[in-house]
Amino acid sequence: MKRKGLLVVVFLLCTAALALAGGKQEAAAEEEIVLSALWFDDADESSVFLATMKDYLSANPNIAIDMQVIPWQDFEKKLKLMIAGGNPPDVARLTNNHVAMLFESLLELDGKLDKLDEFKKVYFSGSMALATNPDGNTVAIPTEATANGMLGNVTYLENVGVDIGTVSKSWDWDEWVNVMNKAKDGNQKAQFGLSYDFSPHRWSTLLFQAGGRFLNESGTAMAFDNNKSLDALNFFKMLHDEGICPKSVWMGSEQAQEMFKAGLAVFHIGGSWWINAYAKDIQDFDWAAITMAKREIRSSVFGGKFIATFKGGKHEEEALRVMSVFSDQKHNAQYCRDTFNLSARSDNSDIDYPARKADFVTMADELSVTPAYTAEDWKSPGLNKIYSYIREQIVEGLLGNQTMEQTMKNIQQEGNKYVK
Amino acid sequence: MNRISRYIVLIIVAYLIIFPLLWIVVSSFKPQRELFIYPPKLLPMRPTIQNYIESLKYGDWLLYFRNTCFVAVVRTVLMVVINTMAGYALSKFIFRGRDAIFYSMIATLMIPLQVIMVPIFLLLKSLGMLNTLWGIIIPPSATPTGVFLTRQYMLSIPNSMIEAARIDGGGEWFIFRRIIFPLSQPIVATVGIFSFMWSWNDFLWPFIVISTSKLNTLQLALANFVGQYQINWGSLLAMTVITMIPMIVVFILFQRSFIRGMTAGGVKF
Amino acid sequence: MRKKKLKGNFNQTLAPLLFLSPNIIIFGLFIVVPAILGLRMSLYQWSILGEPVFIGLKNFTELFGDSMFWLTLKNTLIYVFLAVPLLLVVSLLLGLLTAHRLPGIGIFRALYYVPAMLSLIIVGISWRWILGEEMGILNYLLKAAGGMPVHWLTTDTMAKLSLVLVTVWATAGFYMVMFIAGLQAIPDDLYAAASIDGANKWQTFFRIILPLLRPTVLVVLVLSTINAFKAFELIFVMTGGGPGYATKFQVQNIYLVAFEQDRMGYAAANSIILLAIIGLLTMIQFRMTRGELAGE
Repeated sequence: MKRKGLLVVVFLLCTAALALAGGKQEAAAEEEIVLSALWFDDADESSVFLATMKDYLSANPNIAIDMQVIPWQDFEKKLKLMIAGGNPPDVARLTNNHVAMLFESLLELDGKLDKLDEFKKVYFSGSMALATNPDGNTVAIPTEATANGMLGNVTYLENVGVDIGTVSKSWDWDEWVNVMNKAKDGNQKAQFGLSYDFSPHRWSTLLFQAGGRFLNESGTAMAFDNNKSLDALNFFKMLHDEGICPKSVWMGSEQAQEMFKAGLAVFHIGGSWWINAYAKDIQDFDWAAITMAKREIRSSVFGGKFIATFKGGKHEEEALRVMSVFSDQKHNAQYCRDTFNLSARSDNSDIDYPARKADFVTMADELSVTPAYTAEDWKSPGLNKIYSYIREQIVEGLLGNQTMEQTMKNIQQEGNKYVK
Repeated sequence: MNRISRYIVLIIVAYLIIFPLLWIVVSSFKPQRELFIYPPKLLPMRPTIQNYIESLKYGDWLLYFRNTCFVAVVRTVLMVVINTMAGYALSKFIFRGRDAIFYSMIATLMIPLQVIMVPIFLLLKSLGMLNTLWGIIIPPSATPTGVFLTRQYMLSIPNSMIEAARIDGGGEWFIFRRIIFPLSQPIVATVGIFSFMWSWNDFLWPFIVISTSKLNTLQLALANFVGQYQINWGSLLAMTVITMIPMIVVFILFQRSFIRGMTAGGVKF
Repeated sequence: MRKKKLKGNFNQTLAPLLFLSPNIIIFGLFIVVPAILGLRMSLYQWSILGEPVFIGLKNFTELFGDSMFWLTLKNTLIYVFLAVPLLLVVSLLLGLLTAHRLPGIGIFRALYYVPAMLSLIIVGISWRWILGEEMGILNYLLKAAGGMPVHWLTTDTMAKLSLVLVTVWATAGFYMVMFIAGLQAIPDDLYAAASIDGANKWQTFFRIILPLLRPTVLVVLVLSTINAFKAFELIFVMTGGGPGYATKFQVQNIYLVAFEQDRMGYAAANSIILLAIIGLLTMIQFRMTRGELAGE
């Protein structure tokens, strides 16, 4: 029975270790208010948040933050579990998608949050739009703004004599396609002109550039069934059929960014969050954020992250105070600088990023010409409920299992079941 | 099949199975930007242990390791004990409702945990077991799979031994402890290995129960390397390799145990 | 199979219930009660953050007309009926290969078992890379050898097949261990007796070994079937249900309905139907292998 003995010993050791660890914890918890924070990381936002709030915590030693990081894929599930169980975190980092889905559980901030009126003036209207519930009340404060955008392999473009900085100032889809083909053909290693993130939110960039949108003005019904949507859908299909876009991203499981990093694609449509990752990972060629082409209009898509607190939270006052402090200019700038994100505050457009400042400027510029209704569309809970459906339908069209016209009609119909 | 040809086959099969694992281990020594290059390369151009060092920064791994160890060991011991008892009851006794109990246990295996997540959460909350390690030790320990395995195994323990013991005046607990349990070494080892592995790899139960980083388990922490837009491959691979080692050690220790038990021939499975 | 009349007081009630009690109490409280509560929601309309509203059998009638339900059911059945037999055969073969007591056999057993030790997320994203159409190593090797790259995950048929193969790779070790245990228990003299009687390898296998392995085969069959029906994490990470709808299975659909479309009641109804189908198959498997109902 040596094995059993071994087990018992290990068991006792672990129990002892745990008992000690547990003991220390309890002693400290006496006088403190411990705020629970639920975060997901793209890079290291959770630790940067704690570092940013360090000065506040030192000034208020009776307040501590217990940071729990959850993988993004499971984040919404976890939040819903905690809310349904009456146990919501005190503060949480949310995407605009989460805000749209969970607005009923978020605490309305008007009249409660310190400096809210100032925030409303100074944060981007698109970001604030994403932070309001259908009744028009503010339920979250933006932290970072994200812009959908395009990254390009400058080395490849220079190799074929394209001065992308000039060309991209005023190009349209047709010129863009020409440039992509030229760069693809003129660089041996490049196999594709464009790798495109596998996401309906990213695809909608094309939709908005074509002058279309998902919902009607009042957000009460789908307005997708028209020739502008069809234009965007058909263009997307054409890119795949002609080999400009790889089939294996939207119709397989390869990652768009990996193809760009490996030098297989000349352009990558993703978003501003890639600036950070690419700065670290790409060393073999020159790259930059490139202004996107126009169809009917120029457009990016608003996105962003938010900080919010929940109805029924146990430490409402302290949570609100943390939120207010975190959202002031100084803290917001520090957070955005250290996480390499665009700030959602208009007075933080000149953040001193350690590197790649020009790329951030390009992305911010894209946001400045983006119509606010891109935010209105994406904050609709109904639209978010058919998120997977939209993606699946577009793929069905790309595969040739149905026409893009059918895809358009299906999305219109399905959306009207949920959009009210 | 003679010895040499058997070894040859073993090695070929091992190579086929191991190839993806090799990729994981070898890639953990590549700097992140070498992972997705074209053309793909198997070996690192500039081998480094940077990933291992980096990954340690992303959390209090020693604490998570302690937590996971504690949960795995206690859960395994608990599982082995209660499942062998249950398997014995269901295989060596005749009583009303026996089959109904057995089949309803199997039936619950068929419900995906995602579906009953919310009621479990609410139940644990009302029992005050949320955010405790006991919340991930006790509820999943009564797994029907363990009962199923032990029951099938014990069906082939000869009844004659039990009859003889009863005639000699042995009590039921004595029979279980001194006859059944020792004869069940192989299945105990099997359930033990599986138990440890399920507990070590468990994501869903800790996900439901734990909301504070102090009680994180390794799997919970590991999952955070898979982000919204990209995967922190370097740290993910390095940590995966590290967390696999205890499981392999446990497997090697336990699997010897079920060979030893086997040489007592005549025990059917 | 007729129950033999057993001597020696096997017909008790108190003792077995006592042995069962720790398991039943934990199991009943933490699994059965939530399961019943959760499944009961199938008669309601329930948004996870709202109040449940009783709607009777409306969820079920809607389900039967739901094309996504039937599509994902079809995909799931194809997957199950491919993966389970393959898994059974492969794990049995691996068991046969490694059941012998050769020096160093423990290392091989461990190696074959290691895939089963990996978390499904790791398995999924690793294989996703390996099978990548443009950047994956398999296609690269194929192209380098002068062949054609394979559309591992980008066509309907291949995506389903790839999932089956990866599932077998990732779980065969688990069932192999059970077969090793089962095979090791067959006494050596049976083999000797068989060869004396002039039986060749195949006859020995099919007439002697396989019947003795019946209880193991049942366990492997039942568990692998249940697990195949519940497959979700691996699939979701490897293909996300794609391309298009090719690999969208039942549990993914249940999950999307519950959490993205916010219809817990409808998801519960779907789960009950899934439960019934798996239950039916399991009962058939018990019958087929004549799983013993009485101690013998």
